[in-house]
Amino acid sequence: MADVLLRDVRKRYGAQEVIHGVSLELKHREFIVFVGPSGCGKSTLLRMIAGLEQISDGEILIGGRRVNDTPPGDRGVAMVFQNYALYPHMTAADNMSFGLRNIGTPRAEIEERVAAAARTLQIEHLLKRRPSEMSGGQRQRIAIGRAIVRRPNVFLFDEPLSNLDAALRVQMRVELVQLHQRLDATSIYVTHDQVEAMTMADRIVVFRDGRIEQVGTPLEVYRTPANTFVAGFIGAPKMNLLETRVTAASTGRVEVALPGGRAELAVDGRALASGASVTFGVRPEHLRRTAGEGVFRGQVKALERLGRETLLHVTGTDGASLIATDTGDSPVRIGDTVALALEPGSGRLFGGNGAALPPAAASAA
Amino acid sequence: MNRTFGDRLILVLVIGAAFVWMMPMLWVLSLSLRPNEELVRSTAGILPWPKTLEHFATLLRVSLTPRWLLNSVIVAFGMTALTLLLSSLAGYAFARIDFPGRRAVFLLVMAGLMIPEQAILVPLHAMLADWEMHNTYFSLIAPRLAGPMGVFLMTQFFKAVPRELEEAAELDNASRLKIFWSVMLPLSRPALTTLGIFTFLFAWNDFLWPVVTATQPEMYTLSVGLGSLQGNFAMSEGLGFLMASAVFASAPMVILYVVFQRYIVQGITLTSGK
Amino acid sequence: MTVTSVQDAGSRPHGLARYRDALSGYAFLAPFLAFYAVFLLYPFGLGLWMSLHDWEIVGDYREFIGLLNYQELWDDPYFWEALKRTLQFAAITAPAATVLGLVLALALNGPLRLHGALRAVFFASNIFSVTVVTLVWSMVLNPDRGLIANGMRAVGLEPIAFLADQDWAMPALVVTTLWWVAGFPMALFLAGLQQIPPEVYEAARLDNASRWAVLRRITLPALARTTLLVVVLQTVMHLQVFGQPLLMTRGGPANSTRPLVQLIYETSFRDWRSGYASTVSVVLFVMMFCVALLQFRLSRQEGD
Ligand SMILES: Nc1ncnc2c1ncn2[C@@H]1O[C@H](COP(=O)(O)OP(=O)(O)OP(=O)(O)O)[C@@H](O)[C@H]1O
Ligand SMILES: [Mg+2]
Repeated sequence: MADVLLRDVRKRYGAQEVIHGVSLELKHREFIVFVGPSGCGKSTLLRMIAGLEQISDGEILIGGRRVNDTPPGDRGVAMVFQNYALYPHMTAADNMSFGLRNIGTPRAEIEERVAAAARTLQIEHLLKRRPSEMSGGQRQRIAIGRAIVRRPNVFLFDEPLSNLDAALRVQMRVELVQLHQRLDATSIYVTHDQVEAMTMADRIVVFRDGRIEQVGTPLEVYRTPANTFVAGFIGAPKMNLLETRVTAASTGRVEVALPGGRAELAVDGRALASGASVTFGVRPEHLRRTAGEGVFRGQVKALERLGRETLLHVTGTDGASLIATDTGDSPVRIGDTVALALEPGSGRLFGGNGAALPPAAASAA
Repeated sequence: MNRTFGDRLILVLVIGAAFVWMMPMLWVLSLSLRPNEELVRSTAGILPWPKTLEHFATLLRVSLTPRWLLNSVIVAFGMTALTLLLSSLAGYAFARIDFPGRRAVFLLVMAGLMIPEQAILVPLHAMLADWEMHNTYFSLIAPRLAGPMGVFLMTQFFKAVPRELEEAAELDNASRLKIFWSVMLPLSRPALTTLGIFTFLFAWNDFLWPVVTATQPEMYTLSVGLGSLQGNFAMSEGLGFLMASAVFASAPMVILYVVFQRYIVQGITLTSGK
Repeated sequence: MTVTSVQDAGSRPHGLARYRDALSGYAFLAPFLAFYAVFLLYPFGLGLWMSLHDWEIVGDYREFIGLLNYQELWDDPYFWEALKRTLQFAAITAPAATVLGLVLALALNGPLRLHGALRAVFFASNIFSVTVVTLVWSMVLNPDRGLIANGMRAVGLEPIAFLADQDWAMPALVVTTLWWVAGFPMALFLAGLQQIPPEVYEAARLDNASRWAVLRRITLPALARTTLLVVVLQTVMHLQVFGQPLLMTRGGPANSTRPLVQLIYETSFRDWRSGYASTVSVVLFVMMFCVALLQFRLSRQEGD
């Protein structure tokens, strides 16, 4: 069992605190993705779990054991680095077996484990080569191989795919998930690419400035972002966020004003007064062009034809602008005025502090 | 074209200069290959004719030169190996280990770059005389291991090695010593080669300290021994012999130079790269 | 339970790892530091101490005499003569080696194999030991059967005994030294030239700049740092001149080529006056220290 437990973990560099009390519980065999903008502390936290960075405060437990003072090699973790960090003077096989040799694993077992890992990763033909004689993708596989031969309880990945080209990245994404499913380990995967986060994670942890903003499954995070930051960060194109005012509020229903219309949302509005300023959020795919009365009316300023769909950049009369999706063969042209309807049940409201307002159902319970 | 004409003219001039530059060495080489009777008559000309290897034979047979060669080899290899070891150990500590007082100790060591060998020549001699250690390999080698240049170079080199490599090794259960020995040292082969060549050159050509500490002819290095020949032999006698000993003493360096020229040039770029 | 362990971690952050790091840090340093302390720091201090003594190299005679050695130095004509010769030698050789190195580097900074071969030739004399160099050049300069004498005779001139002539001895040592060391500044300048981005030259070509203008406006300014480095290295090196005069002229004729290091060497190991020799060493150290300090100041200024 290798659940990972973080309890109020903090990191200070000198007087400056960069991780502000992170608490998190990871279940055995979970694939967890840390995501957040650059500099938010994802790598730092990951390295603290690995033991490469000292923990200034709080504690980390792996498999129920407190590891704050355990050296990295004894934590049962393995890490895959962004730049692979392969030993340049060793062959792929030596790279993979270095750790096992260091703990005195019998030679026969080392060979067996390396061979098994090589088979899994399809790198048998590379074993005799040095890193300089391999492509980036091949090196990445060796680095992963080095991690799995150690049979760790926890895999740590720090942006392992960011040095690969787009096509290979997609392929490796799938392979890594499959690999994870085959192995009996917990994986923590750091990325700033929210597509990677969405496609790979069992649960996503969104960070900002050394704090957790939200923890949840990809769909939870996508559908019910906890605040405007998460709403803006997860999903491409981003969720549309419009500053607006409440026109009517009741226990299970809030109505807000939008350029060219009004939107009604199933949100607990008891704490809201009419006229309160809120942020209205809606995913582009939940806005549809309509012939009738919509919630939003505006002029198309730009079009992005992606083939499967078309993105409409629409600017309302008061200058507010948002993105809506339309069919791939959309007849809309730049300059057209369109009305947009809100798909029933969609749309989020965020209070003045940016936090999402609780849905009506929750308050009813 | 004006430009290419200028380039050609310059090239021709430097080729001429290069011949003049090589002339002394070539001439000495030729003298070392001519019989003494011929040399008494004339030293003119560059071609060794008639030629003989008798001087080199004499050198190896009757003089202490073979012994000096042995001494030089022991001193040069010993000094090089130990310098590489000490410098890389210390350089690694300065570059990568976080210990209290690191900055202060580093500055103290680098301050040593300001102390020239002449400033400590006399006290060093007094010290080794106290220990009765003159005329030993120890006294020929040990004082030369204190120079901070190698430590400086290795520190710079290790600082440039990506940290992730070490971290990966740490996750691979490697101890500090293991990381140093199995990861950092193999990685620093280019730096070690350069430092090694320069140390070897320095050791082989070292003169001031050996001439002070080695007073018994059996403990001379080639460099010191050759210096003593210059005083002891009248130039008119055994001229060919003298020239042969110069050729003999420099031959290892020439071979080293031809083989490692690339690293020597690299090393110079290193010292100026700051 | 949990609360106490958290506080525990906070109050003693990474105590164990810190301790381990400190220990291994000093363990890695220890071998070098031992040699450094014993063979550099200690002798340096001992030298300062000795300069305050009447100290004989053999036997146990040593008497504290305060600054008397320094006073004697002040009145010692041999010291002043040696100081003058040392400065003279360095003042000629260092700039000459710099210019020679620069000219060679400019001429040989080309892509051809021939350029590479020529660079190797000029650098090669660097690898010889001082004893080989002096032996070769003593022979070259020999008035009876030397290379130059042969040449002079061939064109009907009377050969000169360079090393025995008061006017010629110093220039002869300078030429010998230049032949020996000039390859090093050349290599440093070549490294400097390599760092000038080729686009700069291409831009100048498009601007129709003449060869001379390119040299003056682009190349030389770009080499300013290297030049400073070369001058300092060369000055420090030639202030320490020793082997050439010892082996070629024995400091003569009439002490006209005897530098400070030879004075130190002879005072200590021939006259057995180690205390006084240490005093001269201290003066030499201070001189070289000043040059290094000057370089530090200059390179700082340039950095701003
Ligand atoms: N050694 C250090 N000293 C001081 N501050 C540091 C140090 N290392 C990291 N930081 C700071 O800690 C914060 C978190 O850095 P971290 O590397 O964890 O970010 P990240 O989320 O991984 O970003 P990225 O996506 O760019 O990799 C940053 O603000 C960074 O400036
Ligand atoms: Mg990072």
